[in-house]
Amino acid sequence: MQPLEDARLTESIQSLPMAASAMRPPLKQRQSLADDSSHSLSQSTASLPFRDRRSNPSAASLFQSTLTPPGSRSGSPAPIGTRSPALSGSVFGGGGGFKQSLLDTAAADNPGDPLNLILKSFVPHIAIHSSQDVDRLVSEKGFKGGLWELLRPFGERIQGKVTIRDSTGGARSWDDFSVRFTRFGEGIEDPEPVAGTLRSPPSSSNGPAASPSSSGALIAQVEAVVDRHLTYAEDACMGASSPTTPTRPGLDTDATSPYYALYLRRLLSGIPLACQETFAHPVACIIAISSRNPSPIEALRILYAETSNGPRQLPPWVDQDYLRYYVLIHDEERSDITKSMALFDQMKRHFGLHCHLLRIRSSQSAETDDDSIPLPRSDWMTASEELADIEKSDDVEEFEDPTRHIFESDATAIRTFIREMVTSSVIPTMERNISVWNDQIASRRRGISGRLMSLSKRWTFGSSGRSSGSAISGSGSSSNNNYDALGFYSAVHPEAIMRRLADFAFMLRDWKLAMSTYDLLRGDFQNDKAWKYHAAANEMAALSLLIMPQSLSSKTRLETIGQMLEQAFYSYHTRCSSLYGTVRCTVLALELLRLRGGSGIDEAVRWGIRVLEARLLGPVGDALLKERMAICYASKTGVGSQAWGSRRRKSALWSVLGAEAWIARAKYIQAQRCLNEARRMYSLLPNECGVQNFAVASDFLAHLNEQLKEGLRMDGADFYGRGGGGGGMEGGGLGDGDGEEPEVLVDEEETAMVDHRKAKRASMIITVGGSGAGGGAGLETAPLTPLMPVRLSSVEDEGDGSGAKDGFG
Amino acid sequence: MSYYFAIIGTQDNPLFEYEFGTSKQGGDGQSRFSDQARHLNQFILHSSLDIVEEVQWTSGQLYLKVIDKFFNNYISCFMTAGNVKFLLLHQPTTPVSSSSTRNSTSIGANPQSPQTEEAVKNFFTEVYENYVKAIMSPFYKVNMEIRSPVFRSRVAAAGRKYL
Repeated sequence: MQPLEDARLTESIQSLPMAASAMRPPLKQRQSLADDSSHSLSQSTASLPFRDRRSNPSAASLFQSTLTPPGSRSGSPAPIGTRSPALSGSVFGGGGGFKQSLLDTAAADNPGDPLNLILKSFVPHIAIHSSQDVDRLVSEKGFKGGLWELLRPFGERIQGKVTIRDSTGGARSWDDFSVRFTRFGEGIEDPEPVAGTLRSPPSSSNGPAASPSSSGALIAQVEAVVDRHLTYAEDACMGASSPTTPTRPGLDTDATSPYYALYLRRLLSGIPLACQETFAHPVACIIAISSRNPSPIEALRILYAETSNGPRQLPPWVDQDYLRYYVLIHDEERSDITKSMALFDQMKRHFGLHCHLLRIRSSQSAETDDDSIPLPRSDWMTASEELADIEKSDDVEEFEDPTRHIFESDATAIRTFIREMVTSSVIPTMERNISVWNDQIASRRRGISGRLMSLSKRWTFGSSGRSSGSAISGSGSSSNNNYDALGFYSAVHPEAIMRRLADFAFMLRDWKLAMSTYDLLRGDFQNDKAWKYHAAANEMAALSLLIMPQSLSSKTRLETIGQMLEQAFYSYHTRCSSLYGTVRCTVLALELLRLRGGSGIDEAVRWGIRVLEARLLGPVGDALLKERMAICYASKTGVGSQAWGSRRRKSALWSVLGAEAWIARAKYIQAQRCLNEARRMYSLLPNECGVQNFAVASDFLAHLNEQLKEGLRMDGADFYGRGGGGGGMEGGGLGDGDGEEPEVLVDEEETAMVDHRKAKRASMIITVGGSGAGGGAGLETAPLTPLMPVRLSSVEDEGDGSGAKDGFG
Repeated sequence: MSYYFAIIGTQDNPLFEYEFGTSKQGGDGQSRFSDQARHLNQFILHSSLDIVEEVQWTSGQLYLKVIDKFFNNYISCFMTAGNVKFLLLHQPTTPVSSSSTRNSTSIGANPQSPQTEEAVKNFFTEVYENYVKAIMSPFYKVNMEIRSPVFRSRVAAAGRKYL
């Protein structure tokens, strides 16, 4: 990337949506760390090995989201320790932080932060259904995926502030509102039909084979993506002789590790279009035709008909009544604007307000064009898409740069279009729906009579249900129980509508309404034994309760939240064996609990342990989670000079566990970071000694260190020279093993890179094979060498022997 | 059930470590920790000092009961006068499901039952008496490792007797 282009690029960044800020070419990030005076010089050295190493340098753009070296966290623009003191007092401090909404904390603005990810993932989904001529027009512009691919990055950040009214009439504007574009009818997850047996305890017979296959696959894909990123970073960092500091001292608890953020993001980006939650259900559908269409109005009619009936109709649990938004795409280069305007006027007359005329150029924009800007890759692509991209970059020799360019005028037009659609059509529609549903259905349930009704329902129905277990789906149930034998609530049932109400409220950030509605639904679903719905409602109730400002004491609050999570976990995991639901629920809850601080942190770790114990995640997720627990504990600050109540030793323990897990996966950079964290935590203890007095434990640490050094040495000697320097600086907490770190091999800086890489590949495979035996499983099977027991016995002998000699007592 | 008992000094330094197994219900008194668990035990015990430092202010008792749990490891704590802590890590042979706590009464199976609490308390009390006698030795200084074989055998006896 030439500096000239860089300059232009940064200029254009201001006008681009949010994701563009992550678009800076990786090489430039490297350089920016270098001293300015040596800029031109370091550029040549920095870029060379990098290009040599990868067969196709442009593949780097695939890994941008994590490509800043793991030591410096990409997600956080703020330097370490900028957390304002006032904030740390109220939110991260003791139990008093519950009065504030989490949204008012700094975490909400930080793009890599889990809270921000939650806000950006549970957003209105807008389906796109376009005619063939639109697809053709857009693919002429270079977007093979159709209009969806073109619009998607722009939906991730709506320009300007978006004002939303909540149910009480108060307005609040957000400047980080986003919507998600999906292709119409994609990602539908079918509910399992409820057989009579499902009503009995589900652990017995029902098919857990059906649902986990899909949700389990998603987790596996997420794992694979993150693993590719890690491997790439490992390769790139080893090779780069640019002055990156691979590890930075200081566990900054505000920033998220880019890999963890990526894991969460990919986990959340593929919310399936399922029956038990309506987040992925289309709030609106864009019906698009282009000015090239010979019979435009007819085409619109056909497209509309396709969305509301016919083979592509959405399943019956999806509300068919969503907003249709009609878009006429005018080809600036080949069509006549007066004709288009006339057509657009006609559309307005037919369809009313929800129309837009989008004027874009139909020719492809090249990088060299004057007014072209790069279109950022979508932040929220699903794991499978990203995996496909990465695999493609591996296979093809002539890898084509995935970065697309569009004309600036087009970008402006699209931004205006999306902003207008969201602010004047989508959000008002949602607000109207919320108030209608709230008045007509939810408030009726909230009143006295509603309570009585549900109570009577419960009693008459509950007794029969209890007495005759599986006979429920028989005769009398259909009148009472809307959760029919199909295994879902059809969209017209009050339960489904209320769920949609709650989800809409959640998406529009009206936590209070969302929370109270979810709370109502929890009971209903439990009575109906609709476990998937029950789990989802509990999950969202807990999440909204965690986000909203709270007045009750934190202890009672935590108990309530704990119960909800417990039920959600049980329903997801045991009753429905839905892996995706379980993982999402617990991980999100963990993050929010962590932000709540105080005893929430212990609670968060408890949930983390639950996830680890149930072995829900793959090896990568496992290691990331362990690392995350260390951060959880580290963010608990103590009181006074002795830091009473802090969790430094715990944090260090988890860091060690994380390092162990990373070493087992041969991811030495990550492992090194974890070990450094552990060391730092131990050095922060009042007496500044960690486990060094515990013989076996400190032996183990030394052994880990040894393994790490070995791995790094095999990987890239030049890299480690600097890494050791960084590590040595903050060492000292650990008595043995790390003193001699810095003087490792600095002299191999300029080796023949290609050969080196081959050798490294080979050795890497060996290491993976070697440690794979022990590292496959979880905690109990640490990759220990046979050295360990020997050492242990010798230590014990020594102790006994000296004890006898001493002979005191 | 396997036990790992440690006396931790004021500087987070172990003064005394002892591993044993249950002698109740036909146990042979041998610990069943795997080799990998050995270092982990020490890490866990060390990390639960964080919890000890917090919990010690909330209770007037010396015996703090089970203060921490790490996967299937439970940690009981007993404070002594000089800020020296007795920590006992117990690991049931089969994982305890969270729903059945306080149902089973056998000491081995359920680390959180009142019976276990009582047994651990008795163990701690007896060890404490011996500990006080041991540190009364004129040659003993604060935070010095306790290497007395007599003390070790007494701890072993207490373990056999109660756990």
